[in-house]
Amino acid sequence: MIITSLLLIPFAGTLALLLWPGSPTPSRLRLISIAFLVIQLGLSLAMAFAFDPAQPGMQLQEHHSWLPGLGLDYAVGVDGLSLPLVLINGGLTLVSAVITRDIDKRPRIYFAMLLLISGAVNGAFLSENLLLFFLFYELELIPLWLLVSVWGGANRAYAATKFLIFTAISGMLILGAFLGLALLTGSADFSLSPVSSERLAMGGQLWLLGALLIGFGIKIPLVPLHNWLPDAHTQASTPVSVLLAGVLLKLGTYGMLRFGFQLFPEAWAKLAPALAIWAAISVLYGSLAAIAQTDMKRMVAYSSVGHMGYVLLAAAANTPLSLLGAVFQMVSHGLISALLFLLVGIVYRKTGTRDLDVLRGLLNPEKGLPLTGSLMIVAVMASAGLPGMAGFISEFLVFRGSITVFPLATLLSMVGSGLTAVYFLLLVNRAFFGRLAVTPPSGDAVADARLDVQLAPVAPRETIPALVLATGVVLIGLVPSSLSRLSEVATTALSVFTQGAS
Amino acid sequence: MPVISADLVHANSSVGQEELQRLLLCGESLLLDTPDHVLEVVGVLESYGEVLDAYSINLIYQAESQFLNPFPIFKYLDGDLSPAKIWRHLIHDRINFEYAEYCQKAMFWHGTGGLDAYLDSDAFAENCRRIIAAKRKRDPLLFALHPLSPGFLPELIRSAATIHALGQFWRVMSDLFLDLAKAERAGKVSTIPDVVAFIKDGLVAAAANPIHYGVSIEGEYLWVLPPEAGLSFLVDVAVPYVEAVFLRGMPFLGTVSFNAQAQQISPDQGQFSYGALYADPMPTMGAGIPPSLLMQDMYRHLPEALHQWYLVRTRGEGDIRVKICMSFQKSMFCVTNAAINGTMPHPLDCTDPAAQAANTAYAGAWAQRLASARNDCLGRVPGVA
Repeated sequence: MIITSLLLIPFAGTLALLLWPGSPTPSRLRLISIAFLVIQLGLSLAMAFAFDPAQPGMQLQEHHSWLPGLGLDYAVGVDGLSLPLVLINGGLTLVSAVITRDIDKRPRIYFAMLLLISGAVNGAFLSENLLLFFLFYELELIPLWLLVSVWGGANRAYAATKFLIFTAISGMLILGAFLGLALLTGSADFSLSPVSSERLAMGGQLWLLGALLIGFGIKIPLVPLHNWLPDAHTQASTPVSVLLAGVLLKLGTYGMLRFGFQLFPEAWAKLAPALAIWAAISVLYGSLAAIAQTDMKRMVAYSSVGHMGYVLLAAAANTPLSLLGAVFQMVSHGLISALLFLLVGIVYRKTGTRDLDVLRGLLNPEKGLPLTGSLMIVAVMASAGLPGMAGFISEFLVFRGSITVFPLATLLSMVGSGLTAVYFLLLVNRAFFGRLAVTPPSGDAVADARLDVQLAPVAPRETIPALVLATGVVLIGLVPSSLSRLSEVATTALSVFTQGAS
Repeated sequence: MPVISADLVHANSSVGQEELQRLLLCGESLLLDTPDHVLEVVGVLESYGEVLDAYSINLIYQAESQFLNPFPIFKYLDGDLSPAKIWRHLIHDRINFEYAEYCQKAMFWHGTGGLDAYLDSDAFAENCRRIIAAKRKRDPLLFALHPLSPGFLPELIRSAATIHALGQFWRVMSDLFLDLAKAERAGKVSTIPDVVAFIKDGLVAAAANPIHYGVSIEGEYLWVLPPEAGLSFLVDVAVPYVEAVFLRGMPFLGTVSFNAQAQQISPDQGQFSYGALYADPMPTMGAGIPPSLLMQDMYRHLPEALHQWYLVRTRGEGDIRVKICMSFQKSMFCVTNAAINGTMPHPLDCTDPAAQAANTAYAGAWAQRLASARNDCLGRVPGVA
């Protein structure tokens, strides 16, 4: 019942927010949503304590027949692959609600959508039925579209529509692949069982896997399917960007591992070399594009494109170590990118710009944003994979696990890791070092030496969520066993099983 | 990190050279006379006076009691080695005497005026010879070290002489600034011209004070700067101090990169313009910005009225040291203003054309130097603080 309770809480919260009597203030609505999200996080942790890491398969399973004629069952369970993602969803949605302030329009719907997304994402991670997964996968689409299109930036309509079109195509391809699987196997059983695909010819498997790869590739996103992400991030508000980068992109990588990789191991093995090259291209393109950006948010968005490529590389290599690295990368990218977006959000709120041609010297101890800048340095160090932080563990595991299988693709991806240091040091150097200024350099010494740069100070309540995330990033880097203990058995079993099947 | 040339760092000619020269020649204060400026300048100089008192006591203690001590680990304790004092020192509940040493090094390195000339004289070399001979009798380390590096101990003695002279200079300035605050409270000083005149009178009154310094070695008193050297307060110490600390200074490490090979820092020390009147207050409290130490010290001794004034501006307590630095720069312009007025060749109201020409040339030379200083703080240009 724990999983059902976990799924019901955010939906109950959504209903409570929508039906709350009277006209509650935005801060009251925020507190209500935070209360529900705290319960959700508590239940996620309770699930983690009830979970037995020594068992490789699904646990805490619940199964109820729903629409048997359609093959749609309420079948949920958790394993070492989904548990870390459920935990990170619980944590980051709570962070998103906490950092949401000054919602001036339709706060009731805003917080309801936040809870709805969180519940849908949990549902997708915990589904054991393909159609149920698809329902949850689609369920988060409209709320996110609303969050970008209603509470986004000046160009929000364009970005939200682009997101909607891309993700709708993604959904269609995934549904098509699921239905195709039923059609080709002649079975209406949509349970998560790799057995059904074994009856398929290789050609059929490749088509279905191809559809899934493109479908999930849009969501991850992989180059050249990434086009929607930088626009969505640029126009989304900070809490939505935190959620989008930290949690929603993981739906793509999770889906690829759970359904592409696990359902079609033979076809996966055939496509693996091409996937590894695709991953390397994605990593390099994302990194090089990030270098060219002058908008801090777009830079972080492109870094996501690059860093999510590591997960595809790890999945393509399919070794126990690389798959563990994939889980680590999903979690560490979730935390690090959420931290980066949160900090960029603070910079934007205080300075009114994210332009790297304009911002300078924000580390100024008294008149700048010194703590924000310091946390930004921690975040970029983690993202660049410096030892002692989460990014190092995940990248090391991915590279170590993949290099024996795909040495060239791995080496190219390692170059991408080096490029991460390039663009993030550019960001830190331009925006945080030098003399404080929030105007473009004019060449006029008098204007550039202005003393009247007035930035509002960052209140502790604005920094605490970032401090919590940074602590998480360092803790995973220092004590990686806390995470590997949850996932190692599951990822090893997954690798052994799929290698055997292929 | 972009490389910024030296002239771009300090150049802010909000008030032009002609206007500065006009202000100096007609006896107006450089800093605009406003009630806020009076509060800032008098308040900051009062806290500066408190800090200079501690600096002065410590510098004189160092020069007299830590003379040629190879390991002066207790030099900031002024001889009080009680556990409570050591504990307060360790938890940094103390004045940053490092800043006093920083100023001394600037003065020693730029080396202008009568004091520096005396430190290079034969008479001073003879003083050193006698001091070293006395010291070597009982100190085996110095006994062994001196023949190996015969220039080392004289250089340390020169440094000690500058330390003592700066201590004597700050003794006068500390008393002067504290008296200024008392005079302001008594209603005797109420405008910026009053402040400038008060400081000028104090400087003139102390101008001829003798500067001398001796050390006691094994019961024998030996002169480092003997009275017969004829060193005096204003021309031999005050003016070199203004030259070294207010005007020339040294570029700060930290926020700006200089390419010395491309001569972005002038090879001629005389062309340096990184001093207090040119410095950018914005990076205060940043790494490698020594005046941060002084701002922190002044913050600890800030008069309540000025503290309250800062609290309702910009970030309140959050950027208070930057604001103190901005006020300090204004007050240093007042001190410079007073020094220029006090050293003007002839009275400003004289009618002799030759005297007027001399005054004009003198004021012009100063105006030229101050034109490229951070004189936007003077408030002479509307819209600039």
